[in-house]
Amino acid sequence: MVDAAFLALSVITIGSAIAALELRSMIYGSMALMGTLGGIAGFFLLLDSPFIAMFQIAVYVGSIAVLILFTVMLVKRELIFKKIEDPRRKFAGIGLMLILMMGLGSIIIDSGLRTIQTNEPAVDFRDIGEDFLTYYWPALILMALILAGAVTGALVLARREDVEDEQRAN
Amino acid sequence: MSVIAPKFRLGYFLKSLTDNIFWIIVLLTLVGIPAIMIVLFFIDLPVLDGTLLTPFLAFTMMFHPELAVPVVKSLLYSDFFRIAAFPGFGFAALLAAGTIFAERKLLAKLQLRVGPFYCGKFEGILQLMADGLKLISKEIIIPAKADKPIFWTAPILFVATAAAFVSLIPVAPGWVVADLDVGLLAVFAIIGFFPIITILSAWSANSKFPFIGGIRALHQMVSFEIPLILSLLGVVILTGTLNLSEIVESQSNYWFIVFLPIGAIVFFISVLAELERIPFDLPEAESEIVAGWLTEFSGMIYGLVQLGSYLKLYAFAALFVVLFLGGWQGPMIVPPFPAEIITHGIEAGPITVQVPGLPITTQEMLNGTLWFTLKTVAVIFFILIPRGVFPRIRIDMLLSIGWNKLIALAFINIFIALGLLYAGVLGPGGLL
Repeated sequence: MVDAAFLALSVITIGSAIAALELRSMIYGSMALMGTLGGIAGFFLLLDSPFIAMFQIAVYVGSIAVLILFTVMLVKRELIFKKIEDPRRKFAGIGLMLILMMGLGSIIIDSGLRTIQTNEPAVDFRDIGEDFLTYYWPALILMALILAGAVTGALVLARREDVEDEQRAN
Repeated sequence: MSVIAPKFRLGYFLKSLTDNIFWIIVLLTLVGIPAIMIVLFFIDLPVLDGTLLTPFLAFTMMFHPELAVPVVKSLLYSDFFRIAAFPGFGFAALLAAGTIFAERKLLAKLQLRVGPFYCGKFEGILQLMADGLKLISKEIIIPAKADKPIFWTAPILFVATAAAFVSLIPVAPGWVVADLDVGLLAVFAIIGFFPIITILSAWSANSKFPFIGGIRALHQMVSFEIPLILSLLGVVILTGTLNLSEIVESQSNYWFIVFLPIGAIVFFISVLAELERIPFDLPEAESEIVAGWLTEFSGMIYGLVQLGSYLKLYAFAALFVVLFLGGWQGPMIVPPFPAEIITHGIEAGPITVQVPGLPITTQEMLNGTLWFTLKTVAVIFFILIPRGVFPRIRIDMLLSIGWNKLIALAFINIFIALGLLYAGVLGPGGLL
């Protein structure tokens, strides 16, 4: 059962990732990207971590994909469809991906992943929260500061007083 | 000679009747009975009181209906019943249908009109069936330059997403389709799908009004998701759990609306915006952009979108009840099942009938469902009323409400919850 679900999820994830890269239509491409991100959420469900799976769906499918869709729909079509076809780039991309995958794979296989017992109970998300607030608190605060800085910067950049005043005057 | 059927002859009528009976018998023997046998082969029949439910037992039940009670009970506790009928789709669709009718009558009364009046004997009670029949029988028109796959799938996905949302709502103790440990997070994840489906269907119609409506819907839903999620964090802080059933159980002494009124108000306003209801119905503004993102929908596709949006309305009202109004909690008003029926059976004059398998449901379940339904109907009523009272607001006002005021109020609510927690009043190990 789990194997069948794993295979189906792998096909969905990898297939829609390839589709997201190769499809001519940007809308369908972003929908395929949604499929990839949802497939990764499915992997998290298979790994007994529904907390991360739900956040994956809420953040990546629900927000990032919406952002991409929104951008695609508001950009002019000519800008989207201007293509630079170059086979050398494609092969370079595939080669780069293979090198990355091999590097990451060797790191993961060399790590302690192979000694993990698979029949251990799943980690409760409350434990994750507790770890974040006790042992990893500097990382948490650093992340919070970076995010707050990003939000503030975005607000400052998005603030255009000239346009706003013009609308108010009308 | 009658006017309706001028060429009527009794002989032809009898011939058509016998023809139909003949074909029914032939098809039943050649197709129906083998099909039933093939299907029966693959079905796991329930075991009742130690005996397997065989077709012979089923035939016996036709003459002793009281023997069928265990069958009904086993059906009631099956997963299929949960998904399709009681805490799941059927219950929600029934409440949604009632909501549509009540909304039309209520708005009519508020505006000194009559409303639906002629279908059915009493106050147009059959109007909904008439509308449904009309929608089913209408042609589905697809715009020539529409993106057909997305245009067809978007309404189905909309209903499916709304049904997934409904499946997370606990109606009575233990009566929930999906009792997730991270139920509230699942709610947030599912809510995130609605803007995607809306904008995709709006884009796929390839028409101006749906696209404007879809962009408005996207703006509105995405910006009101943030205060919606933030306003619920207070409840999570006080209960220390994300499971919706546990959140309801923790409200046995008091409701959270008593301690977190600001959160409840923020959640309610965000719900109005998420549901695209007046005063936030900009995506469907009928006096500006025809029907917004629903403009190109016709026939049953439109019906599906309407069903989905009313299922969503029920689900949000139920979520409000679960998080702030104590869910199924309430004084026990349903009388207990009479014990002598279980022990002695039903006595009717000289005959005593022993009915196995009673009671079918527990007293707690009936009472919980009653209170939950009452509270949900009350919340739905409060969601409907603004439609008769308020005008539509401008989109810049809407966005400034969402981003400036509601988010600030939601943070105030979080600090109130934290204060209650650290003062030791509520929460794990608190006073109350």
